[in-house]
Amino acid sequence: MSDAGGPTGARLPDEEMTRDAEFTSRARRGVLRSVWHDPMGRSGLIMLFIVLFVIMIGPLIFPFDSQSFGTSAASILQPPSRAHWMGTTELGQDVFRQFLVGGRISLYVGLSATLIAIVLGAGLGLVSGYYAGWRDTMLMRVTDFFLVLPTLPLIIVLAALFGQSILVTSLVIGLTSWPQTARIIRSQVLSLRERPLIQRVRSLGAGDLRIMRKHILPNVAPLIFANLALVLSGAVLAQAALAFLGLGDPVQVSWGTTLHNAFNSGAMSEGAWWYVLTPGVGIVVMVLAFSLVGHSLDRVLNPMLRGER
Amino acid sequence: MSLRYLAKKLFTLAVTLYVTVSFNFLLFHVLPGNPVQLLARSGHFDPAARAQLVKLFGLDHPLIVQYFIYLKDMVHGNLGFSYVYRQPVTTVLGGAIGNTVLLVGTATLVTIVVGIWLGVVAASRAHSLSDATITVTSLGLWSMPDFFTGMILIFICGVWTHILPISGLVTPGLVTGTWGHLVDVARHLILPALTLTLVNAAEFSLISRNTLVDVMVEDYMLTARAKGLSRRRIIWRHALRNATLPIVTATALYVGMILGGAIQVETVFSWPGMGLLIYNSVVQRDYPVLEAAFLIFAIAVIATNFISDLLYQVLDPRVRRA
Amino acid sequence: MSLLDIEDVSVDYRIGSGSLRAVDHVSLRVEQGEALGIVGESGCGKTSLGLAVPMLLPANASISSGSISLGGRELVGMSERELNQLRWTEVAFVFQGAMNALNPVQRVDRQILEAITAHDSHADREVAGARVLELLELVGIAAARAKSYPHEFSGGMRQRAMIAMALACRPSLLIADEPTTALDVISQAQILALLDSLRRSEGLSLMMISHDLSAIKRVCDRIVVMYAGVVVESGTTEEVLGRRGRPAAAQHPYTKALIAAHPDLGGARSLAQGLSGHPPDLSVPITGCRFADRCDSAMEICREQAPASLSVSPGHVAACHLARRLVP
Repeated sequence: MSDAGGPTGARLPDEEMTRDAEFTSRARRGVLRSVWHDPMGRSGLIMLFIVLFVIMIGPLIFPFDSQSFGTSAASILQPPSRAHWMGTTELGQDVFRQFLVGGRISLYVGLSATLIAIVLGAGLGLVSGYYAGWRDTMLMRVTDFFLVLPTLPLIIVLAALFGQSILVTSLVIGLTSWPQTARIIRSQVLSLRERPLIQRVRSLGAGDLRIMRKHILPNVAPLIFANLALVLSGAVLAQAALAFLGLGDPVQVSWGTTLHNAFNSGAMSEGAWWYVLTPGVGIVVMVLAFSLVGHSLDRVLNPMLRGER
Repeated sequence: MSLRYLAKKLFTLAVTLYVTVSFNFLLFHVLPGNPVQLLARSGHFDPAARAQLVKLFGLDHPLIVQYFIYLKDMVHGNLGFSYVYRQPVTTVLGGAIGNTVLLVGTATLVTIVVGIWLGVVAASRAHSLSDATITVTSLGLWSMPDFFTGMILIFICGVWTHILPISGLVTPGLVTGTWGHLVDVARHLILPALTLTLVNAAEFSLISRNTLVDVMVEDYMLTARAKGLSRRRIIWRHALRNATLPIVTATALYVGMILGGAIQVETVFSWPGMGLLIYNSVVQRDYPVLEAAFLIFAIAVIATNFISDLLYQVLDPRVRRA
Repeated sequence: MSLLDIEDVSVDYRIGSGSLRAVDHVSLRVEQGEALGIVGESGCGKTSLGLAVPMLLPANASISSGSISLGGRELVGMSERELNQLRWTEVAFVFQGAMNALNPVQRVDRQILEAITAHDSHADREVAGARVLELLELVGIAAARAKSYPHEFSGGMRQRAMIAMALACRPSLLIADEPTTALDVISQAQILALLDSLRRSEGLSLMMISHDLSAIKRVCDRIVVMYAGVVVESGTTEEVLGRRGRPAAAQHPYTKALIAAHPDLGGARSLAQGLSGHPPDLSVPITGCRFADRCDSAMEICREQAPASLSVSPGHVAACHLARRLVP
């Protein structure tokens, strides 16, 4: 119901200013609480907490010794037992202990790749949206080009060319995961810069950097945050695929690497489900946790940013 | 669609293709990890062989000359020579492309049909239990790496029950007629296609659902209800027709994802397509094949986006004459 | 018997964990061939009331009390199937001019044709097609433009096409919700003239919802003024708003304020310029008169007790403690 009635007249800039300030503080205070009250967000947060707890504390209690191989035929590819909760690998290693350590690598690569992607994407989006004009056109052309390139094949090619350390993996995933973020941030900045407050501050002679830092960044920060969770889930998936295809760090065993070993050692035809299921479920739970939180954040933030109630 | 628009789009397409080809050159021939250096480092070759290889690839020329040689080769459809198969790359790719088209085509088709149908079901009962179930299931499936989904299906259908073949395109040594051959291929196709579909239909249904939910609150949907149209007609004729536009765009972006999935799925099921070729060329360091396969994937995605742009023009009367 | 009889109807919206009563025990009637105007600020419940008639309220809204009968048939509680038969054949809708009420990807003639064939599956395609052109001609759209898409029409033409579509099944009641909002002044005048002539030539009853008093005065026989979900005043347009030299005899301070905001009822377009403050929050219970906070003549009793409706003259009712019987 958008009747044209009601009090009209130009809204005072000061009123607009307080509204902006209100939005920012309300957003900061309310977002986490809103996510917690959203069933999707709450299950995501709980899952995330469990995953973090397991992979941070787990290895301290059940340390993994990569040198401890099974010595007898009776110790390889054993189903779950008291001694080996999740069975053993084709080398007689404990799957559960390997699982606890592997999660750290998956998370570590995911986090650092996401950091690179977000800084790059948000930075380009900010610049592009704020300056508009030719800089925007140019940056968006580049963004669209990378948006169209098939991401996973590109990541595979880059990893094949540049090596397989977790550093390279993080870089490669990070450098290919930013275009979506750049697009999202740019469109938000484009709408922000038309707001009366920004216009006014600019007419008062504030510098571009100051406007970006003080007025634009705080307003896109929640959006960056929501996007972060989604990029993170994508990065963990990409890392897993890379490691599965044999392009993971051979020393730093991640969940994807475990699955690579399981697949290539013939554990599948031996029916060693524990070897496949344990790291696989780890990946699914971690990715699901991040995407649940991300979707929930998105749901909470989007109407807020659009200024609806 | 105006000719001017078509011309503009074709020009953009040409530029994008040129940039992609050049980007490929940059990746494989300029950046520090170029294949010959890598091969030399990995100790595959003695110095004499290395020198020979350098000459073969024209690496003794300055970069700019190499670039033009490369472009010329591209124009002539010369994609290089495979180290491993000892055949021209085009020959190696030739057989694989058809198999990938079969797999990806089947999966895409099923994905679109199932994804849209689930999206409609969820959207027409938005915020109900079945909506929530579809959304959560979709998120769960989306969170599964393609290769892991494939491995689970192998356990279920191949290791534990033996109901479906889990590897390859055909049963080795099986001698039958044409019909029997087709049935055999179809049986081998089921699991890899199902894997790709499960993951992608999940997200596709989420996209359809959200697009439809946005369309449902449009004013013309209220008009359709006020006109006393049946629920079915309102959803399939009015809502879906309007939701098609964003869905078409999403489909194009999807092809990139599905191709990424195809690499994993073909690897898991030993499906002799481009994806398996990429995996093998990574393992065997067969860079010319990797380079060509990546280029073809990129071009496939660019072409799909081009087609979806044109389709958008045809489907949306608002931009058609603009 | 009235054509439309709305009796004691309330509409509740579920919002978050609470609820909001947008329409609060409203009763009104539309007689055969009559044009009734409903006026009020945005959020007063007039649109909800209009949507409630053919049961088109959004999913989070429900009719929590009362009855709505159209041509003697009760609509509240009717099955969706029965309602679909009634919609457009008995009651058609013309939505806000600003709304994109026509399907953007369907040609205009197809949309009108669809309305006809949906209610008469045996309709001869040629006859129906001729009827579409006839309808478009009736509202002043040339047959040559029939195959256009909505975006190829101007705002005024879109609204006329909407009216043509509304007439497709010869409904007895037409509900027009802000039919002229967001149109330019000339289109506004044309649409109002069209509605006025159609209701005579087609024997339509009209329920016109608007915030624009001059539009209502132009077309309607009677007026209902709504404020914060309740009817505060109703009567003939002539008596309440004044016409042909007779001064407005509005009794409710809110109606008076609305009239005051339109110094010459012919020109000014924006409402409520003379009215300060906002309507009350409907999600909390209100004691006393809903308008008291914004009323210049509010007394102590106004904040304690809701005013009863008083018949100030035959057919003219006002709900205000200050209202007095008019001396004829």
